[in-house]
Amino acid sequence: MPGPVDQTSEEVQWIKAAQRGEREPFGFLIERYQRRVLSHVARLVRRHDDVEDIAQEVFIKVFRALRTYNFQSSFAAWLSRVTVNQCYDYLRRERASRIDFDWQVHEGEQEEFDTRVERAEDGSPDPERQAALRDLVGKLLNRAPAEDRIVLGLKELEGMSVEEIAEILELNLSTVKVRLHRARKRMLEDYRSLGRGK
Amino acid sequence: MRCDDVRKTLLEAWSQDLAESARTHLGGCAECRLYARDLGRLRAGFAALAEEPVPEPSWGFAERLLRRIEEAADMPTFAEEFFERVGRRVVYVAGMLALMLILVLAVPSSGPLRGPTAAELYWTQSDVASVGSDASFGDESLENSDAVQAPSATEESESANKP
Repeated sequence: MPGPVDQTSEEVQWIKAAQRGEREPFGFLIERYQRRVLSHVARLVRRHDDVEDIAQEVFIKVFRALRTYNFQSSFAAWLSRVTVNQCYDYLRRERASRIDFDWQVHEGEQEEFDTRVERAEDGSPDPERQAALRDLVGKLLNRAPAEDRIVLGLKELEGMSVEEIAEILELNLSTVKVRLHRARKRMLEDYRSLGRGK
Repeated sequence: MRCDDVRKTLLEAWSQDLAESARTHLGGCAECRLYARDLGRLRAGFAALAEEPVPEPSWGFAERLLRRIEEAADMPTFAEEFFERVGRRVVYVAGMLALMLILVLAVPSSGPLRGPTAAELYWTQSDVASVGSDASFGDESLENSDAVQAPSATEESESANKP
């Protein structure tokens, strides 16, 4: 099992050994980073049934591509990049195939959201308000384009800084800021166009 | 501040404090207040979503994953994968060229070197046949024309005897 002491040099050794094809050190890397990968996947994809499958695919890709890792960025950032790319591919496929209709917001649901949110803001218990808003944003996220979901998920759900997002997505800071601004604006417009914000 | 500027500021500020000028505008503009309220709802919704527990890896996640990697131990290396991919493309291109060559040879009219088609051969043969049947007329006419144009032997001798 991986130990917490001197993580960096230990991790470098594991990575180099795994780059030579050794399985056991790669197992240590999995143990260390599995929660991080699962967290990214769960928050970006938001389909609990598929989270572990996607995470497994991520680690298999990482193992295969490990030879190309050149220690220029941190292993965590590199791993996050692979994870985000995998999630992005999944979301695009899902959006293209429209295999489920969860992304649609029906008229009945609109009214229900309105009622719940309004009531919650009129002094309902906090958990109820939280649940109403969580459902609302969850639905809006499911309707959003993959690019918006990724950037909003990393910022608002994973709590990453703009700098961290820029490193993971290999973009400059201003591009990340623009994308974030655009994604928030689009989501707000979507919300307001549903008639709830008026 | 104009409404557009205030809304842009609201989106940029997100959870940070607003500038005094924006707050003043919000105090007097009902539309922008609604905008700010909706944005606040989204922000609160994101905060609530972020508090949702993240799934823990199921028991034996890492072991199962390592077993999958073991099973795929005979997977191609990066170089093998690269050469396989490039090789496959070379085969595709060669196949396409061969197909094109076959098409060019099989369909003469479509190639750059035109050969006689079956129809052309048929017409050529029938032309030859018709020329063959017209040959007697041709000979006669030639003979006739010779008779008209060429002077006879008696005419030649008469003209020779003239002073």
